[in-house]
Amino acid sequence: MNKLLEIKNLHASIGGKEILKGVNLVVNEGEVHAIMGPNGAGKSTLSAVLTGNPAYEVTAGEVYLRGENLLTMEPEVRARAGVFLSFQYPVEIPGVSMTNFMRTAVNEKRAYEGKEPLSAKEFLALMREKKKLLELPDKLNNRSVNEGFSGGEKKKNEIFQMAMLEPCLSILDETDSGLDIDALRIVAEGVNRLKTPQNASIVITHYQRLLDYIVPDFVHVLADGQIVKTGDKTLALELEEKGYEGF
Amino acid sequence: MRVSKGDIFERVFINEEVHLQLDQEAGSHVKIHVINAPFSITVNQLEEGCHTEIYGLEHLHGEENVTAETHVTHAVGGGSSTQLIKFVLADNARGRFIGDLKIAPDAQQTEAHQTNRNLLLSETAQMRTQPQLEIYADDVKATHGASTGQLDESALFYMQQRGISKQKARQLLVNAFMKDVIEVISDQYSDVREQLLNAIDGVVE
Repeated sequence: MNKLLEIKNLHASIGGKEILKGVNLVVNEGEVHAIMGPNGAGKSTLSAVLTGNPAYEVTAGEVYLRGENLLTMEPEVRARAGVFLSFQYPVEIPGVSMTNFMRTAVNEKRAYEGKEPLSAKEFLALMREKKKLLELPDKLNNRSVNEGFSGGEKKKNEIFQMAMLEPCLSILDETDSGLDIDALRIVAEGVNRLKTPQNASIVITHYQRLLDYIVPDFVHVLADGQIVKTGDKTLALELEEKGYEGF
Repeated sequence: MRVSKGDIFERVFINEEVHLQLDQEAGSHVKIHVINAPFSITVNQLEEGCHTEIYGLEHLHGEENVTAETHVTHAVGGGSSTQLIKFVLADNARGRFIGDLKIAPDAQQTEAHQTNRNLLLSETAQMRTQPQLEIYADDVKATHGASTGQLDESALFYMQQRGISKQKARQLLVNAFMKDVIEVISDQYSDVREQLLNAIDGVVE
């Protein structure tokens, strides 16, 4: 089994306050890891640090993606190398159309891989194909990125982008928050269909609900900046029942 | 100059300094775009039912220093005016907007909107905004807004997270900021409009 991501003793802070206090985690190809934990445990900080959000400072530790030092890469290089974050709060970008945004992103990644850019025709065909996966309407192409999208559309749009970019490591940050059951099913099915033996996902969630649809191989409990317990999918059910007290 | 009753006076000025004084007669329509040039535009709505639209877009670099000035007077009622002035300031550029909007006591049922939005792309760029509203009539709808800000960091990071370089992400945001001023150029100037829009979108191709 090939090691995809390795996190060693990761410490990170924001505004001088330490949030991550020594996280260790190995994610192999083909695996789905769930990270659960109480609010304020550092779940979103972990996703921010892995993707290079400049608001956070890494104070100690190492992170490797396929053996390469992830922490020294610019955020866009991490993305091109295959790290994808489905944002908890997708950002609205008025005036930038989905098409223009996505085409730029896809072609930047292709350039990084030494491939020719897609022509307009090829690109639009790809958009159509991937959009079906998420049951997203075509009219979204001409709208500004996330602007005026409903909560469900925003989350579907995240997974749509994931489908377009085919990352090796997807981090889904509270993707279930604000979703009704139908949207949750569509989003989860989208994620499941994108699963291959070569890629992996980290699913960050507060609730067990999403894990009924995206079944994890491992469940980790993150509390006060550290992974304090690791188990299989039954751990999620246990947490649902007993809550996070005691962590 | 005078804009005669019911006439439409429409112009798009690009890289061309503009000094205009227009007196509008009843039901006339003035629509002016100025792109990347200093301007001073004075419009007097002397008779009823006039419409005035003034759009300015200044994308400044280096040591450029540009002043945009509008003086709009509603002397009589039943008219409308819309102003949208945007500055994008890079490097050591300096921008200044002076916007006088006057609604005379007799100019009831006037609708007047003045908006000035500015984007600072460097620490050393500077913008001065001096809107001045004098409203003497009470049955009017008047709004004004002025804001100066920087690029949205969260939007930049979102784009970088999708593999878009920071430089391209900035360009996309700047283009998005400028776009609405250009989009409202009328079909009569569609060639110019499309050229400008292509110039903007072309940057990211």
